[in-house]
Amino acid sequence: MNSIIIGQYIPGKGFFYKLDPRTKIVAVLFLMIAVFMLENIAQLFMALGIALFILLLGRISIIKVIKGLKAIFVLLIFTFVFQVALNTEGKILSQANMHFNLYSVIGVVLAFIIWRLLVRVGKFKILMFIAFILGVYIILRYVNFGTDFYSFSLTIYEKGIEMSVFVVVRILIIITFTTVLTLTTKPTDLTHGIESLLRPLKKIGFNSEDFALIISLSLRYIPTIFDEAQKIMAAQASRGADFSEGKLKDKLKQIISLLVPMFIIAFMRSEELADAMESRNFVPGQPRTRINVLKFSMIDVYSGIFTLLCLAGAIVNKVI
Amino acid sequence: MGIRFNQVTHEYASYSKVTYKAIHNISLSILEHDEFIALVGHTGSGKSTLAKHMNALIFPTSGTVEIFNNIITKKRDKKIKYNSIRKSVGLVFQFPEYQLFEDTVEKDIMFGPLNFKVSIEEAKKVALESLELVGLDESYLNRNPFNLSGGEKKRVSIAGILALDPEILVLDEPTSGLDPEGKNILMRLFKDIHKKTNKTIIIITHDMDLVYQYFNRVLVLKDGELSFDGSPERLFKSDILDKNHLDFPNTIKTLKHIKETMNLDINIYQKTVEDVIKELNRVTKNE
Amino acid sequence: MSIISVRDVSFFYNEKKLGLKNINIEINKGEWIAILGHNGSGKSTLAKTLVGLLEPQKGEILIDQVLLNDETAYELRKKIGIVFQNPDNQFVGVTVRDDIAFGMENLCVPREEMLQKIEFYAKKVGMSKFLDKQPSNLSGGQKQRVAIAGILAMHSDILIFDEATSMLDPYTRNDLINYIKTLNKEGLTIIMITHDVNEALLADKMLILNKGELYAFEETAEILKKPEVFHECHLELPVALEVASLVKNIEVKEKLWEYALTK
Repeated sequence: MNSIIIGQYIPGKGFFYKLDPRTKIVAVLFLMIAVFMLENIAQLFMALGIALFILLLGRISIIKVIKGLKAIFVLLIFTFVFQVALNTEGKILSQANMHFNLYSVIGVVLAFIIWRLLVRVGKFKILMFIAFILGVYIILRYVNFGTDFYSFSLTIYEKGIEMSVFVVVRILIIITFTTVLTLTTKPTDLTHGIESLLRPLKKIGFNSEDFALIISLSLRYIPTIFDEAQKIMAAQASRGADFSEGKLKDKLKQIISLLVPMFIIAFMRSEELADAMESRNFVPGQPRTRINVLKFSMIDVYSGIFTLLCLAGAIVNKVI
Repeated sequence: MGIRFNQVTHEYASYSKVTYKAIHNISLSILEHDEFIALVGHTGSGKSTLAKHMNALIFPTSGTVEIFNNIITKKRDKKIKYNSIRKSVGLVFQFPEYQLFEDTVEKDIMFGPLNFKVSIEEAKKVALESLELVGLDESYLNRNPFNLSGGEKKRVSIAGILALDPEILVLDEPTSGLDPEGKNILMRLFKDIHKKTNKTIIIITHDMDLVYQYFNRVLVLKDGELSFDGSPERLFKSDILDKNHLDFPNTIKTLKHIKETMNLDINIYQKTVEDVIKELNRVTKNE
Repeated sequence: MSIISVRDVSFFYNEKKLGLKNINIEINKGEWIAILGHNGSGKSTLAKTLVGLLEPQKGEILIDQVLLNDETAYELRKKIGIVFQNPDNQFVGVTVRDDIAFGMENLCVPREEMLQKIEFYAKKVGMSKFLDKQPSNLSGGQKQRVAIAGILAMHSDILIFDEATSMLDPYTRNDLINYIKTLNKEGLTIIMITHDVNEALLADKMLILNKGELYAFEETAEILKKPEVFHECHLELPVALEVASLVKNIEVKEKLWEYALTK
């Protein structure tokens, strides 16, 4: 039940796995800033092209990245629809009345039912959803029998389409960067990298080393806590706590029966852990040597230069 | 018929997609009353997995488990109310910390019955009865479970399951972590409950002394398979323990040592310290 | 030569809860001492005072002739290490290697030296092949071995085991205890806290605590002939000793005492 795969990290070979985590973190940040400075679609598609090229270079499976996008798919659709509906600049691409009458409403309901049935049976949930949206559009536009009790004019402007594509592609590029980061960097290395970058903050009183220790302790305990949750659920299920069904009031009690033991165990653990750490000479804030060190290599230098060039290019582009 | 396992195998899938057989081809029957069974085996032999099948917490990957006429297979059957099986087969886990959560003992014990839609008055009544069954008195009702000693917590967690009035009671290492006095109190309690109510009680344990003293049927698991099902006497007279990383009860080991080093004709199969003394005194009377 | 001296130590958790009362102990280098007592007798409290996690309100503790206090605790903790009961709640590192390194990192040991010591001590406890494993992939016994390696790497020559085997199954327990035997043979001072008299019988001397006070502190070979000591302290004797105390025949008694000591 226990695995190395905490977060999205999947072990592998290739360019991105050899980079120092600090380089990757800074690169993602700079490239995100660069992308936000781009102003039109053409530039954006160029950036997308570069991103895809980088992916291929690093031999990152595009399929894995797409899987990471599934989570925000709904957000993307929303954004797209919003931009299309609200943007009123440019040429009118299409103008049509959307009719709400008895037949069209029945049509929409039927389409909905068909969609839910197909989703339960079939696999292509995302395509089904898109088909459903298109279907609703077609029905509302063309089913024109009888009297409308309501209608409105849906106007799609050129700029609307352009902007929505723009925003969606921009989100895609950003997500691609962060996915590559988490896919190729072990959580502990990521923590190490962040801690190293935050070290200058020591001067204003923030101890990044202790902070990093807290984060890595949390990571170390994730599988343990997961196991404990399972054990607690098993114990409470044996007393009739059904975690899948039940009214809201019951569910609340069930969640409490899971959370209270978890918290208590966590408190006991933190006491015992503190004792163990102290008995092994741990003193918070005191300097310590480290067994895991980060080292830069030439790849980091090249990547750094590339990132800076991209950023510089974006700035120059904006200024001109 | 209480519980029947028919060629049950349970495989876990691990992250590397290699499946691991926790139990393999297990077939056995447990009556719904009168049985007092010990379940033993080395760590990893599948005892916990077997126990979790008994109240339908997990399903077999192949084979079937019959629990009070409900047939459990690997697929979820909509006609079976899995939750109500937990009222007939009560499973108590090893660590009370994973179960206790309310701020009073009374509320915690009531949690089980309330989940099965028992009225609050009835639940309170049952809570008191269960508490008394485990040897704790009324004064414990309003105490905070977290302020109790380890042994008391264990008893409260057992009371929590007894409150459901299950016909079969399964306990995973109920005596581990208790001092010897606590162990004996608990074992006598189970024997008491068994006598008074005729419930079938199944106890997972490592303690061979307890097995010999209190049980009449032992199930031995080795690497997920059932390697013995019979009386403790028969088990100790066979060679199965040696093959299974399991120890003999201390009474037998002690007498074996005396028999071998002093060359005496001793019947080593004695259950209690009193029995051992009697046998030794008998054998040495003529020396 | 006394390696640990406990002089008239008393510890109170609060007005109502007494931890320890007037404890006086001298432990010599290389000895194996078992500390026995019922739950709440003060065993863990004593263990924690020895490593400076608790400060007694009365009395003093000397480790290797040096007084244990706030200033000396850091240095003295290099000599005395403690393995706790719950294998999961003392494992700090993300991997075995990281965990063994933890103590050395706290002592600012240079990285090269750390790497060497990790290899050496991991081999010593039989965990060489597990250096990159995460704790969630280790058994309880394996985690305890890693804890031992981490303490040995700090060059401790006193090891305290605070019920360190009680959460392990009997087979693993035996394994671990056999390993501790080899450590003792190499000269390490072992203090083993347990409520299992069988485990305690392996020690050179037994120290029995009762309600926070020192009830007895004697050679094992002598104390096992006094069953009343155990009964009064609510400790259950192993079968062999219980039988030895009740049986009439003297030869049988002797054989049983012998048996109890050599198991």
